[in-house]
Amino acid sequence: MEIVSVLKEKFGYDSFRTGQREIIEDVLNGFDCVAMLPTGGGKSLCYQLPGYVLEGSVLIISPLVSLMEDQVQQLRNFGEKRVIALNSFLPHAEKQEVLRRLAHYRFIYASPEILQSPSLLSALQTVPISLFVVDEAHCISQWGHDFRPDFLKLGRLRKQLGSPPCLALTATATREVIDDIVATLELTNVKKHLYSIDRPNIALCVEHVATLEEKIERLIHIVDAVKKPGIVYVSSRQWAEKLAECLRERGHRTAFYHGGMEAEQRLLIQQQFVYDQLDVICCTNAFGMGVNKPNVRFVIHFHLPAQPEAYWQEVGRAGRDGKESIAILLYAPGDEQIAKTMIEAEFPSLEQIVYAIQSIKHGNEHIGLTEVQERLIFYWLEQIEEADSIEAIAKQMHAHVEKRRRMKEAKLSFMLRWMMEERCRRQALLAYFHESLPHRHERCCDRCSLELAVYEEKNERMSSIPLKAWQEELRRMFLAKVGKR
Amino acid sequence: MPSYLAKVVLFCLSRLNGERSLAAIYHLLNGKKSAQTLQDSKWYHLDFLFGTLAVQKSEILHIANRLEHERLIERIDNDTYKVTEKGEAALAQFSFPAYLNGLRYVNETEAFWRRLSLLVQTISNLVHETTFEPIQRDEETLLFVKRWLLSRRNAAALAQSLYEELHRLLSRLDEKEANVFVWRLTSYERIGLTNEQVALVLQEDPAYTQLLFQHVLHFFLKTTEKESHRFPLLFSLRADLYETIPLTSSTKKTYELLQQGRTLDEIARIRRLKRSTIEDHIVEIAANIPHFSIAPFLSEEKRQQIMRVAEKLRTKKLRMIKEALEDVSYFQIRLALAKRGDGDGDR
Repeated sequence: MEIVSVLKEKFGYDSFRTGQREIIEDVLNGFDCVAMLPTGGGKSLCYQLPGYVLEGSVLIISPLVSLMEDQVQQLRNFGEKRVIALNSFLPHAEKQEVLRRLAHYRFIYASPEILQSPSLLSALQTVPISLFVVDEAHCISQWGHDFRPDFLKLGRLRKQLGSPPCLALTATATREVIDDIVATLELTNVKKHLYSIDRPNIALCVEHVATLEEKIERLIHIVDAVKKPGIVYVSSRQWAEKLAECLRERGHRTAFYHGGMEAEQRLLIQQQFVYDQLDVICCTNAFGMGVNKPNVRFVIHFHLPAQPEAYWQEVGRAGRDGKESIAILLYAPGDEQIAKTMIEAEFPSLEQIVYAIQSIKHGNEHIGLTEVQERLIFYWLEQIEEADSIEAIAKQMHAHVEKRRRMKEAKLSFMLRWMMEERCRRQALLAYFHESLPHRHERCCDRCSLELAVYEEKNERMSSIPLKAWQEELRRMFLAKVGKR
Repeated sequence: MPSYLAKVVLFCLSRLNGERSLAAIYHLLNGKKSAQTLQDSKWYHLDFLFGTLAVQKSEILHIANRLEHERLIERIDNDTYKVTEKGEAALAQFSFPAYLNGLRYVNETEAFWRRLSLLVQTISNLVHETTFEPIQRDEETLLFVKRWLLSRRNAAALAQSLYEELHRLLSRLDEKEANVFVWRLTSYERIGLTNEQVALVLQEDPAYTQLLFQHVLHFFLKTTEKESHRFPLLFSLRADLYETIPLTSSTKKTYELLQQGRTLDEIARIRRLKRSTIEDHIVEIAANIPHFSIAPFLSEEKRQQIMRVAEKLRTKKLRMIKEALEDVSYFQIRLALAKRGDGDGDR
């Protein structure tokens, strides 16, 4: 079947977006592909559509359970029933049933962790895998901003599954990271589709304020004035809660969102935002991946993001509908210290590493490290040859740690330089991703030309249906209105 | 004026009588299914609070500091406190929602809510012919609701019946209780509120609205069980959830072996566990299964001795009891106390 008709029939779209057709054609021709498309650029379609053309199942490896769930739901919304997310929450009996019928599924989502399970691997080996997809593939690289050691095992896994063609997807990767992806997944015959990650409809703006109090005032002022809905990113759970309270007191429909909340509460807040019951979300970086909300009009960074990759991903949650949107970064002197402290906390000291290795060797569970550090230590222990002493192993690990720390520090100092940048902010940021800006956008950044008034909102927003007492709510839920709307 | 959560902690400290640390309260409220926490909750008649509030350790520590500062409690050991007279006075008017029964429904509450909330959302959207994204995402709940709906027909009739059952049930509660439940439901045109949001609307303490919500669910579970013929739809959502014996899974295995007539040492050997672990299991069984006889481990005479000492000293502290008696083990004291803790909890 012609792929345009599949696009129309299965997804209801009339035409491809930039890059999609080229990527899909190479995928269908059996090439290994690395594809970089901007956030909101329709990456998922690049494997979803081939799922309807190729014989066999598409295996998608994804780093986040919530992201997987969002994508499974998205496919189900398109009417696809043969889709499954393999995760540890599946009850045992159901899991057996799913594994027995694995080949029946057109799309199989899995996390790299769950793929370590031998029973799952042997079940997968009986399934004809038509396409091996690695989503958020920058997680493979130590030089990426979001390194996940388990992703490194994907190269071997692909071989164990008979080396099906591979599609690696990312929205933010430097050239080093792209090279890492190709090497780790052992891609041969590879086609690289690296499209501009620029988002022309999002204007960039940095505002300097003198104090924290002034920053809060400025935030409230901006949120009062600009078109909503929008997202405010902060660096900690406490700040998410505090700012949500400030904005609520100003009469905004707002809520906080962070990793410390129960899954059910998180999903409620996310859905309230998606369905326009909330105008502003105050959140940590836990919010956003997999959230498909096209009409986000602003993204404000209340704290300095430590890495350009993270900044760009978060900014990219605005304006997926292509309409004018704005990203504002608020900076007060001393903000970089928060980011520095977080980097410090991320990496273990030599003493901590020695202690951790000793604990592991003695079979202790508590090795005194954070979860991320723990994953790294276990990964390194697997990599490093049996040396003669714990100290020697620790020293090798520490050298790795120092390398990664320096990398993170370099990313942070890029952000600091970028904030002080006298010339075009967009050009400077794109240059970080080895991209140039051939021609200026009409609304680019505060260094080029920017009128905040464009993004302001004059009219009152429509509010959602008011909350009534339970009897009336119950009637509204179950009893269809007389006469169709 | 202490917050509602602070009063809950104060209440627990009062019941614990200076004999357990703050960690016991943390595990109780979060519903840790360990032998120790299960027993404690029964001994101190706190089982109705078991697993009803998700709290952080740091929150409880913070509350304890505040309570101590206000002289409502005093520290008697590292993180063990006793409630002062002033503290007891502050509890005088304090009460809990009546149907709260955490331990009894610990295996059912969460799953029942997930199923019910997804079912309400699904049926509400079916009647209004709208599409939606499920508000519950675990495959178990999704499968249950899917199968439940497949085995029934006619969405409009289902909606009518479910509406009537919910209305009949909620009418037995007061306005606030019914609101706390209904506002959290997701339906056609509305995503449900979180507990914090409900608390804001009602201008109540979030810990209180959370307990009130649990109380409504426990009321649902109790009533649909007693009057299953009047609430057939709601009953069918929980019929398979009921577990008669609330034991931890490891304890269940020990219980099975005991029923096959194995001795304590045999069980330890078969299961490759320490004898003390098996003893923990037996205490847990004694605390939770009314007809379980402890006679093989403790003579009636000794049991009565232990109970007399415990009452005389007005304590459940094992060490104090052991010092007052000759020739009894900690295991035997725990068994005796576990048996006594049985029966209906008074509030």
